[in-house]
Amino acid sequence: MDFDPAYLVKQLPALWRGLLLTIEISGLAMAIAFVLGVAGAMARHLKLKGIAPAVAFYVEFVRNTPLLVQMFFIVFGLPAIGLTLPLFWAGVVSLALWAAAFHVESLRGGLATVNGGLEDAGQALGLARLPFLLIVALPLGLRVALPSMLNTCVSLLKNSAMLQAVGVMELTFVAVDRMASDFRMLEMFSVMLVVYVVLVFLLSAVANRLEAVMQRPFRA
Amino acid sequence: MSLILDNWLLFARGLLATLQIGIVTLIASTIIGFVLGTLATTRRRSVRLVVRGYVELLRAVPLIVNIFFIFFGAPLLGLQMTPYMAAVVGLSLWGGANGAEIVRGGLMGVPRHQAQSARALGMTEVEIFVYILLPQAMRAIIPALAGLLTLLVQSTTLGALVGVPEFLQISRLIVERTTVMQGSDPAFAIYAFVLLVYFVLCSALTALSRRLERMLASGSARKTPTMTVEATAVS
Repeated sequence: MDFDPAYLVKQLPALWRGLLLTIEISGLAMAIAFVLGVAGAMARHLKLKGIAPAVAFYVEFVRNTPLLVQMFFIVFGLPAIGLTLPLFWAGVVSLALWAAAFHVESLRGGLATVNGGLEDAGQALGLARLPFLLIVALPLGLRVALPSMLNTCVSLLKNSAMLQAVGVMELTFVAVDRMASDFRMLEMFSVMLVVYVVLVFLLSAVANRLEAVMQRPFRA
Repeated sequence: MSLILDNWLLFARGLLATLQIGIVTLIASTIIGFVLGTLATTRRRSVRLVVRGYVELLRAVPLIVNIFFIFFGAPLLGLQMTPYMAAVVGLSLWGGANGAEIVRGGLMGVPRHQAQSARALGMTEVEIFVYILLPQAMRAIIPALAGLLTLLVQSTTLGALVGVPEFLQISRLIVERTTVMQGSDPAFAIYAFVLLVYFVLCSALTALSRRLERMLASGSARKTPTMTVEATAVS
């Protein structure tokens, strides 16, 4: 079987729509995961009664179960008891809930590095625990946690390909669907290979840049 | 609940397949990991670049695309792949890339003066590697490989997408069959059960990895750099 550029060109609009959906879902999931991750890490850091242990269990649960099964549970399991989300949002939610667990872990580690002297200084200045966390510890802890959080974002982008399995028509879905119907493997695999590699490298480049920008205030 | 009891034999068979794939791919990943990870620390730049390229490529492409590629792509090369083989090969190549990073990290974690001292004593490069570097690197490598097993077991679920009869695929079939035959959708109970089984299994493996880490670390005064494979995300 040889590479047929004309076939590829014909499929480009469909692939482009798939790519847009991949980017849209991943972007939304990253934003939600960030908010949930920060909230979860704060709850754990402040040792909120009832909530902190629940978050800890949640993190362990998500990390020790396969994402694909989590997706199946959200997309097929929940509707069976009447909790139906539109497929698009089910995809966003499953990725966001998954990434949030990893964010909580990274950020908890980051917050733990903020040294005790700062907390004493904050108290001396009359900062209560919550304002201290928000305006002092969090900005510092986030910087430490940033590399591993961005790593999770890259994984999230790649894992969005798993949504193919539950019928979200993102890039992998479109490509695999075309392969199954037209048997043009070579074209579709080249597209997926190039697109994912480019996306991952772009995201990694943005991540590196962001890390550099965030370190700026600390450079002498 | 009765649904799970009625189908326990099927579930058990699926779980067995999952564990089997997990162990086979761990062994293959370990072998690939040791070969590539060692090559990644050689002085030859070209060799290092090739290994780097392999690792980066496999880690940049979603694992599921990788498995599809092997399953659908093998016939292009005139090979016939069963779903089971495609899943094992795909997971092994991916696990091998992660294994290479683990082994490389372990070897780089051994302080430089260890090799220098050995060289000063007149040991050959091979002797240095076998008797000095490897034993010390193993402290970091073994727990990380146990962590990789957790990731591999979780990733076996991707085999379901090419039709491997592992735990998730079997559960999926049971959901479909029950829906058709009894008219009620048991997806909630079944997938909750599947989540629970994976949670118990993977928690045990994670605990094992942490235990190995503690056991091996206590033997050395220097704290070995811990590889954070278990904390990284599956992709």
